[in-house]
Amino acid sequence: MNIKILDSWLREYLKTKAKAPNLAEKLSLTSVSVERLEKHGESDFIYDIEITTNRPDLMSIIGLAREAAAILPQFGIEADFKEPKFETPEKPKENLDLEIKNDPSLVNRISAAIMEVNLGQSPDYIKKRLEASGIRSLNNVIDVTNYIMREIGYPTHVFDYDRLISKKIVIRESKKGEKITTLDEKTHLLQGGDIIAEDGKNEIIDLIAIMGLKNSIVTDKTKRIVFFINHAKPHRVRKTSMNLGIRTEAAILNEKEIDPELIKDALYKGIELFKKIADAKLISNTIDIYPNKPKTKQITVPLDKINRIIGVNVPAKTSVEILGKLGFNTKLAENNIAVTIPTWRLGDVGIEEDVIEEVARVYGYHKLPSVLPPLIKADDYSLANDPFYWEKRIKNALKYWEFTEVYTYSMVSEEILEGPTKDSVKIKNPLTQDMVYMRKTLVPSLLQVVRENKNRENLKIFELSNVYHPRQSNLPNEITMLAGIIKKENVSFYETKGIIEQLLNDIGIEDLSFTTKESGGLGSSISIKDDYIGEIEILEENIADFELNFETIKKHANLKKIYKPLLKFPPIIEDMRIISDPKITYKKIVSVIKKQSDLIVDVSLLDIYEDKKTFRIKYQDPNKNLTNEEVSKIREKITLALEKELKIKIV
Amino acid sequence: MEEEFINIKNSAMSIIFDAKDLKELEEIKLQFLGRSGKLTLAIKEISKLPKEKRPEVGQLANEIKKTIENLIDEKNRELTRKTKEYHEQKTVDITMPGIKPPLGHLHLITQAIEEITSIFEHIGFTRVRYPEVEWDWYAFEALNFPENHPARDDWETFFIESNSHPKFGPMLLTPHTSSGQIREMERKKTPPIRMLNIAKCYRRQSDVSHVPMFHQFEGLVVDKNISITHLKGTLDYFVRSYFGKDRKSRIRPYHFQFTEPSFEVDVSCGVCKGSARLPDGQSCKLCKEGWLEMGGSGMVHPNVLKNSGIDSKEYTGFAFGWGVERVLMMKEGIKIDDLRLIYLNNLDFLEQF
Repeated sequence: MNIKILDSWLREYLKTKAKAPNLAEKLSLTSVSVERLEKHGESDFIYDIEITTNRPDLMSIIGLAREAAAILPQFGIEADFKEPKFETPEKPKENLDLEIKNDPSLVNRISAAIMEVNLGQSPDYIKKRLEASGIRSLNNVIDVTNYIMREIGYPTHVFDYDRLISKKIVIRESKKGEKITTLDEKTHLLQGGDIIAEDGKNEIIDLIAIMGLKNSIVTDKTKRIVFFINHAKPHRVRKTSMNLGIRTEAAILNEKEIDPELIKDALYKGIELFKKIADAKLISNTIDIYPNKPKTKQITVPLDKINRIIGVNVPAKTSVEILGKLGFNTKLAENNIAVTIPTWRLGDVGIEEDVIEEVARVYGYHKLPSVLPPLIKADDYSLANDPFYWEKRIKNALKYWEFTEVYTYSMVSEEILEGPTKDSVKIKNPLTQDMVYMRKTLVPSLLQVVRENKNRENLKIFELSNVYHPRQSNLPNEITMLAGIIKKENVSFYETKGIIEQLLNDIGIEDLSFTTKESGGLGSSISIKDDYIGEIEILEENIADFELNFETIKKHANLKKIYKPLLKFPPIIEDMRIISDPKITYKKIVSVIKKQSDLIVDVSLLDIYEDKKTFRIKYQDPNKNLTNEEVSKIREKITLALEKELKIKIV
Repeated sequence: MEEEFINIKNSAMSIIFDAKDLKELEEIKLQFLGRSGKLTLAIKEISKLPKEKRPEVGQLANEIKKTIENLIDEKNRELTRKTKEYHEQKTVDITMPGIKPPLGHLHLITQAIEEITSIFEHIGFTRVRYPEVEWDWYAFEALNFPENHPARDDWETFFIESNSHPKFGPMLLTPHTSSGQIREMERKKTPPIRMLNIAKCYRRQSDVSHVPMFHQFEGLVVDKNISITHLKGTLDYFVRSYFGKDRKSRIRPYHFQFTEPSFEVDVSCGVCKGSARLPDGQSCKLCKEGWLEMGGSGMVHPNVLKNSGIDSKEYTGFAFGWGVERVLMMKEGIKIDDLRLIYLNNLDFLEQF
């Protein structure tokens, strides 16, 4: 959350010679980030500050002044916090009727006072301060509530006393289906469990801690107000505010752990300001219902722990000084500091480390040296077992074979899921209908990419990503898959197969088998030894795809290197052209040829022309030069075997 | 007589060696081996020698003839090759595109992940990977998130339609790589731990600077006496290595549930060079007063150590979790105005990198 404040307003509570740019820089380094510093008029500045959610106490002029006064001395700059004192108002002569009935399980504290006011414009300095803070000045009464919110950091509310017919404010939970109209004239249907105030006759008069309602707020005709401040349970406030989409500054503050002790300050300061700028008169005793007072907390921090976590020695005296200025009560003993947490920090500071953070940040992170953590012991490393190594190799190989890598979303629509939705990981609260299921296959997402790039007649894309398979009472099985698509005219099965063969051969996998696809269609199933890894599919005349289980591939990938002695004697190479029935597979022919002699070291397919195939056969004897007679004997054996076993003719 | 032959050989050798072109070589050949060449004439003289000397000189003459012929042949081949190359070169249009081997493209995110990994591996980090679909325990509860923390509600985190685990709570898509902290500490049981977890994360958001699926990299170091100074050292090393020596980094106070103290890490702006002003005097729109926020970090919260079975009295640690997309965008030269473009998979976009 961000807050904008005027430098001159801040200096009402902060005495220092530090100029605004300097102060902004020091705040950013040690406390909260000043995201922008803008010049305002002749000599003023506006700070735009991001306040972290654990520091709602800094969503105020007073909080920031205290913080700045603690920080600046650590930079050698003098600074003092001018702590405000709010006077108890004089007891009024009259005491108008107002009954407040609280529910302590919903609201921790309620304070209120009734005042007679004279509605009008605020003085210029109030308008100027509010407008610099990004708040529009409306009238003096509303301006007081906003002014207090900025200065003290506590949201306050005003009712029109005369519009509260029953003179009753009853705090309760909303029931499902109850309707309210907020001051911006929007009607909301409540879901139940929201903290509301009603008038005792079932008419809702306030959406507590979030926004005033149209039926009870101040109007042009207002003469008497109820100045109303409360501390509601923060998580309830958040829930209602998010459910209804009402994100007022009041709601954003009230859903944090703001300090209920501030309510008295806010009440007294408010009464004082109403008197000052709205000719107000107190016409009731101040009311304070405070069932849930925060408990004070003490933490004892060992001095050596402070040094151990920060990494340098911080003098105990410095720690005490820093904590003291931040509002902590401290007691220094020989080895430790006992710290009492101020009420405005109870929501944030609870353990030793929290206290150490306070010391460390104000001492200054910028003062600490940069040291790499010493490496005394390291994990054993095995390149072959490093999954990321294989991923990188595969990705690079594909890249150098013209594939472009894509990243598509893991969440897919029902349409892209392909397959039964029942057996899928489904998102309960999807952002859009395009992203409802966790995908079980990558190819449909890649086909989507092909469609989205339909101007490309040729493309090669791939993705290496997880798919998700649900399991009974366990997290889904996340499996890394490698999928790719080749789009080109007359796309070839052999080309796709070749890519996979080469890809896997390169990472030491040789035992590949391609078998008929179970799902039918053009393509093939692929296994490494007995492990099925996936499929090649010729989807259309111009689209081939593959999807392989990368976990299985990784299991088989290896860096094994086997040395085979180089052969000293030259091979004899000859080509053999055959005519065969196309149903006889290549694999079958090669195996028959190879079987005929150990001297056949290689058989490869050279050419296919109609029903004719040309094979190149390499003969080699490791121990001597082969003679033509020896080769012709083997050739005769081959010819005979092919004719006999496969009815193949040699041309 | 023998001497004469040796001389002929020597002079032939040097002349052949110096021949400039094929024409000259042809003349040399005639000069020595032609019908009235020096060697031919000398051989004719052998018949005038006494009979007993002829075989010896004859053999020498033959050897020399062979040597000269070989030399000429060799030179001939050399000159022919050179001439051919010369002619070929004369017809090459060097401005024509070369014949390139095929080349695809790795995704920007992959490239960034590789770079980040290399940097951290240089200082002893081990890369790991943990589930994307997680239990609440790992994503929130063990990381010290209070029950009512906004990140745990339906507006920010994706939940899975599934029964809750009796111990680990609801199933969800992990919104950060920090869930890997708990998993890594459980796996290793005893420090030292020096983890780098890079993974997909998911959040319920989509606009120009947010995508529902994105990548984070998480560092975790747990050991005896790990302090804020070590976090600073690691961070500075990364910033110098990834962004370059002219970029500065700083840590400043921030708030996270799972670290205490917590820091926001800033890197000086690459556009305005950390000055918050552009050369034309305008204020820099990219950064905040000269700084860009890179992400969160902090000292591991003692509750997180406890929840992971690590003795928080004996060990301390630091952790950081930063967006891969974010550091990529913060690198100079990559100005992508809509983060969603990264996952649109428009090939014209992907082929730029």
